[in-house]
Amino acid sequence: MLEAFFSGAGQVFSPDTLIYMLLGSIAGVVAAAIPGFTVTMAIVLTLPLTFAMDPLQGIAVMLAVYVGGYTGGLISAALLGIPGTPSAVATTFDAFPMARAGEPGRALSLGIWASFFGTVISTVVLVLAAPPLAIFAVRLGPWEYFSLIVFALTIVASLVGRSVLRGLIAGAIGLAISTVGPDPIMGRPRFDFGIEMLAPGLSFLIVLIGIFAISQLLSEVEDARSVRSGTALSTKDIEFRTWAVMREVLMRPVNLVRSSIVGVLVGALPGAGGSIANLIAYDQAKRGSKTPERFGKGTPEGVVASEAGNSATAGGGLIPMISLGIPGSAVDAILMASLMVHGISVGPRLILDNADLVYGMFVAMVVSSFMMLMVCVVSMRAFLRVTEIPKWLIVPAVIVCCVVGSYALNNRISDLYLLGFIGLAGYALRALDYPLAPLVLGVILGPIAETNLRRALMTDADWTLFLTRPVSLLLLIAAALSIAWVVWKHRETKKKRETASQ
Amino acid sequence: MPAPGSQQSGPQQEEQESAQAGEVARLLSYAVILAASVFLFFDARGLPTSRWEVLGAGAFPQLVFGLLSVLCALAIVGSLRKLNLAAVRGFAGAALGWLRTRYLVLVMAACFGLYLLAIPQLGFSVATFVFLLATQLVLAPRRWTSFLLALGIALLFSFGLNALFAEVFDVFLPRGS
Repeated sequence: MLEAFFSGAGQVFSPDTLIYMLLGSIAGVVAAAIPGFTVTMAIVLTLPLTFAMDPLQGIAVMLAVYVGGYTGGLISAALLGIPGTPSAVATTFDAFPMARAGEPGRALSLGIWASFFGTVISTVVLVLAAPPLAIFAVRLGPWEYFSLIVFALTIVASLVGRSVLRGLIAGAIGLAISTVGPDPIMGRPRFDFGIEMLAPGLSFLIVLIGIFAISQLLSEVEDARSVRSGTALSTKDIEFRTWAVMREVLMRPVNLVRSSIVGVLVGALPGAGGSIANLIAYDQAKRGSKTPERFGKGTPEGVVASEAGNSATAGGGLIPMISLGIPGSAVDAILMASLMVHGISVGPRLILDNADLVYGMFVAMVVSSFMMLMVCVVSMRAFLRVTEIPKWLIVPAVIVCCVVGSYALNNRISDLYLLGFIGLAGYALRALDYPLAPLVLGVILGPIAETNLRRALMTDADWTLFLTRPVSLLLLIAAALSIAWVVWKHRETKKKRETASQ
Repeated sequence: MPAPGSQQSGPQQEEQESAQAGEVARLLSYAVILAASVFLFFDARGLPTSRWEVLGAGAFPQLVFGLLSVLCALAIVGSLRKLNLAAVRGFAGAALGWLRTRYLVLVMAACFGLYLLAIPQLGFSVATFVFLLATQLVLAPRRWTSFLLALGIALLFSFGLNALFAEVFDVFLPRGS
């Protein structure tokens, strides 16, 4: 075992691998910082470049892009209020208000340190607990999966903003959007009405870019006077206080560890990933906080929870991939594909047949997180220059980046029209005070929920199995309790407000 | 000279009127979503079932659109209880006023729509150059430096981005017809 470990570590620490990993880390951070460019897209673009490399070198570079990308998403989330990647949605809730309140440096530092510790914690869990966690994840049947998604959807309730009903409507609109296009089991066309643009379904990424990026960019130009005066997005003096912020993150060990564990667990479940982990970790931090009312207004706890949560999925996602050959997310699927290109079969025997490769991956994860930290700490000032660019210049340019990102995904012109429609609809929903995060959660979870519901009933037509299988029942009870808690909390707040106004 | 009390009630009244106009707009949105979800619920009933499974392709959409209809109906009832008749009468004026203050958003949205339609015809580089130059000049303060900066950015993000994607990533953006 030690021999394999040293062999793997030796390959990772070779100078050319380290240089490629550094380039990968920078590319990941920069790519994910551009709205519309996801970690997945960055990894897809890296894949062809790794074909000529050794298997471990190639996968180490992709891991560097992966880890860098999870952090890069925070830059545009904090500075522009636009999640650079789906995994940074919850980061916008607090990092953006914090940046707007004149502390963009602190918001970024918090996110970077939380991401670093999140990745390191997840790697430790990956090394120690991979086998039992993977066995648990693989034992879940479609009943448990469907119940798990119902539970995840109730998280919508805690993200609803001012009105529970509008939050639920937004979540249901998200589910509705996910039903357009071929159905996930038989592939029958649904709701395309003969329109070419709707036939392949509404791509989640296009919906995300339209809903978050385009609607946010349009709302940036609402105030004509401030746009024309050349006001930048944030004009306050910037202080990083890198080491002070590191202490600030470490002073909240419970939040940090809890969010990282949430990230690892969510990452280990196939189908879930960073895009869900950041929302769940944020929700858990809010529920566990002594000052939940500060969430959404720029509290450091929110930034730490979201960033530690999404970065920890990187390690979590590798658990089922390494031990069982089941990718936890699209990114893990691409990592798996890159191993298969090199003729390595990914499955339970991977750790037995290619121990040096697996241990090398563990080492590469840790090295990647240190590289990400180094890249971010050294170049943070350069990233913060984004805030000095006036709105009139950045808004049209970022719109173009969104258009390029949407097109490059599938090379389809119809995706651009879809982007336009969804962007305008997103702006209308934002103006009407609908929360947008539940909508995005609905779009992500819709196909997973439908597939598992139908698969469960194909296996056994008995509906009661959802209630008689213990794990499924537990998850459904958790979902019911989650909704009940939120409704009770809303009523309490309403009562308090009424008493205060009297 | 107005009494101090009336000076205070002015902005408060405006705020209330704007909140009521917002509620009317939301009521309309609930009605539109309800109508769409009821239509799609019935449309989903026509989707084929399969002999291999209990649920067909239309079952999950029916579940979702049914849920959405119920939620919208509840929201409509709640909204109607909050509204007064005066708000409904003054809605058209308030909506026009709201749109007038956001004319830059309308201009941007129109430019964006035209840009998307122009990409297949003119190609990515030309359409993007025109879009960027036009929108930046609309939004920018009237200065020579702004014009030069806008020109530079327009060139960089149109022809430059196209070249980057073609040369580095092997992604070919639309060339136009």
